[in-house]
Amino acid sequence: MLKCVMTGSQAKVFGKAVQSLSRISDQLWLDPSRKGLALRSVNSSRSAYGCVLFSPVFFQHYQWSTLVKMNENEHDTTLNLKCKLGMKSILPIFRCLNSLERNIEKCKIFTRSDKCKVVIQFFYRHGIKRTHNICFEESQPLQVIFDKNVCTNTLMIQPRLLADAIVLFTSSQEEVTLAVTPLNFCLKSSNEESMADLSNAVYSEMFVGSDDFDFFQIGMNTEITFCFKELKGILTFSEVTHAPISIYFDFPGKPLALSIDDMLVEANFILATLADEPSRASSPQSLCLSQKRKRSDLIKKKAGKNVTGQTLECISRKAAPRRIYPKETLTNISALENCGSPGMKRANGDISEVSESSVSNTEEVPGSRCLRKFSCMFFGAVSSDQQEHFNHPFDSLARASDSEEDMNNGRFSLS
Amino acid sequence: MKFRGKIVDGACLNHFTRISNMIAKLAKTCTLRISPDKLNFILCDKLANGGVSMWCELEQENFFSEFQMEGFSAENNEIYLELTSENLSRALKTAQNARALKIKLTNKHFPCLTVSVELFSMSSSTRIATHDIPIKVIPRKLWKDLQEPMVPDPDVSIYLPVLKTMKSVVEKMKNISSHLVVEANRDGELNLKIETELVCVTTHFKDLGNPPLASESTSQDRNPEHMAEVHIDIRKLLQFLAGQQVNPTKALCNIVTNKMVHFHLLHEDVSLQYFIPALS
Repeated sequence: MLKCVMTGSQAKVFGKAVQSLSRISDQLWLDPSRKGLALRSVNSSRSAYGCVLFSPVFFQHYQWSTLVKMNENEHDTTLNLKCKLGMKSILPIFRCLNSLERNIEKCKIFTRSDKCKVVIQFFYRHGIKRTHNICFEESQPLQVIFDKNVCTNTLMIQPRLLADAIVLFTSSQEEVTLAVTPLNFCLKSSNEESMADLSNAVYSEMFVGSDDFDFFQIGMNTEITFCFKELKGILTFSEVTHAPISIYFDFPGKPLALSIDDMLVEANFILATLADEPSRASSPQSLCLSQKRKRSDLIKKKAGKNVTGQTLECISRKAAPRRIYPKETLTNISALENCGSPGMKRANGDISEVSESSVSNTEEVPGSRCLRKFSCMFFGAVSSDQQEHFNHPFDSLARASDSEEDMNNGRFSLS
Repeated sequence: MKFRGKIVDGACLNHFTRISNMIAKLAKTCTLRISPDKLNFILCDKLANGGVSMWCELEQENFFSEFQMEGFSAENNEIYLELTSENLSRALKTAQNARALKIKLTNKHFPCLTVSVELFSMSSSTRIATHDIPIKVIPRKLWKDLQEPMVPDPDVSIYLPVLKTMKSVVEKMKNISSHLVVEANRDGELNLKIETELVCVTTHFKDLGNPPLASESTSQDRNPEHMAEVHIDIRKLLQFLAGQQVNPTKALCNIVTNKMVHFHLLHEDVSLQYFIPALS
């Protein structure tokens, strides 16, 4: 169902895409379609999603087909390749990319659907051939439904500049905050720690003037907080492309999109951002409504007060770096908070799952920890054919909104 | 108490960054003493540090184009701060190609050392990176513990060999024993010895040269080939050597038999003294 051939340098770009997606999660979906070959990855807490789409003309040769299954009830089902690979299997294959680029003449990737295997072959000089057979798991790829065009804030920056800013932050810091005004841009360390930790952590911030950006359009002053690790993911990929990074975002709580569009390859990383939640999550339906409600609430609750546990509900934060949450929690896209000076925030962040199908109970954490939650992201399956059985219970198709794309197959629209 | 300083020269900035990296490798937490003409990085010989102490001194004039400070009081015009050394060195990492570096004492909810780096940018607007490093102000009554250590009259004083060589030798020895004997004599010979039940390894360095001793009286009595030795913990020596990324301008070692070994390095114009006590 998939067969493609690449040169050494193309394989390097492909390998970099795999490496950058490995920062998101341990699993990778290989999703070929008429549009090209997409590599997708979603983290376990559904707060980060990455997709790198290689257009058919990127490859030396690209061939894709679907299996059409004849059903008894005369509805043919089109089965696309539902291929999920473990990062542990594919990442070591694309190590030492520089030497790969220099030494291989050709790289071939094809699937054998009869055996649920992906075969990756490297052809070296002197007739040497290296073959890897990777078993894949049948799993419906997920996509994120996110319209970049409706975002009020759009930036375009050279990856080099962003990488320089990232040097500021220590790897121990999980989150960074991006604050923008119509005139400038500031990347600063997020203050998620409780009172006790605050006295030990270095607070860093970096201002970049709007002139340093290729494109700078800010609809409103915004401050959003997201995970640092995933930002590094797209920077890894930017090393092999020549296009600037575009950043699309809105208010806190709404996901942030980072994308690189290099004509033949397009990479999109959608990250959830932290939102403040002044009240307990109520019901799934409040998801969309709460966006509007909370915003006005927030503006009253300006920085100027220490936000303590007494005023906010708490969801305990799991310290596990992989953010595996055994509990389903519901997100409310909630209030904006004007994140002021470092001392203001005594919040303890949390990353929560997206789920339309369940309502969670949030735990109260005693003490001064505050509640913050990551916003949800809307997920849709790549094909609407069947509800795939997933490993996680939360893999429901969150109904994004009223957009008609959802009607047929919930495809991610980029136009 | 107030402090603000500015470094604009690229070479000074890089040197300051290198010093800070070295301090970060030598001591996890250290004291920064600010006085009108000097900056000192101090590690005092508490048990927590394993008895090791460090005194690093630099003349502020050699680095800062602007330097203003107001100490605790007029009579005690000094500031003693405790900080995590790595925080400072990491903050300075961004200053590699900076136009200017400003460092000042601030109080943003708690006392901080704010390092502000002005970076070059392609367009007219400047990029500014700021780091607020949390610090603790050390109260006046504890200052007496943080004074320059007295250097007792050494039995032998000798110039050190190339530190990288010393480090690779000591690194290998560490795997065999944690007890190292450092001995040297007035004839320019330095030996590093380890002894276990099964094996005994000695590395000999010759023709190192001895600096002239301050008190000539003791030197007459001693046979120049007589070795002064001290037993130390090898890991402490290794930590000291690991901190030296760049070869110093001058390096010498003073041995007080069975008491301690004192290393005195000069990195251009910055002086570093490191004391390792003898194993009891």
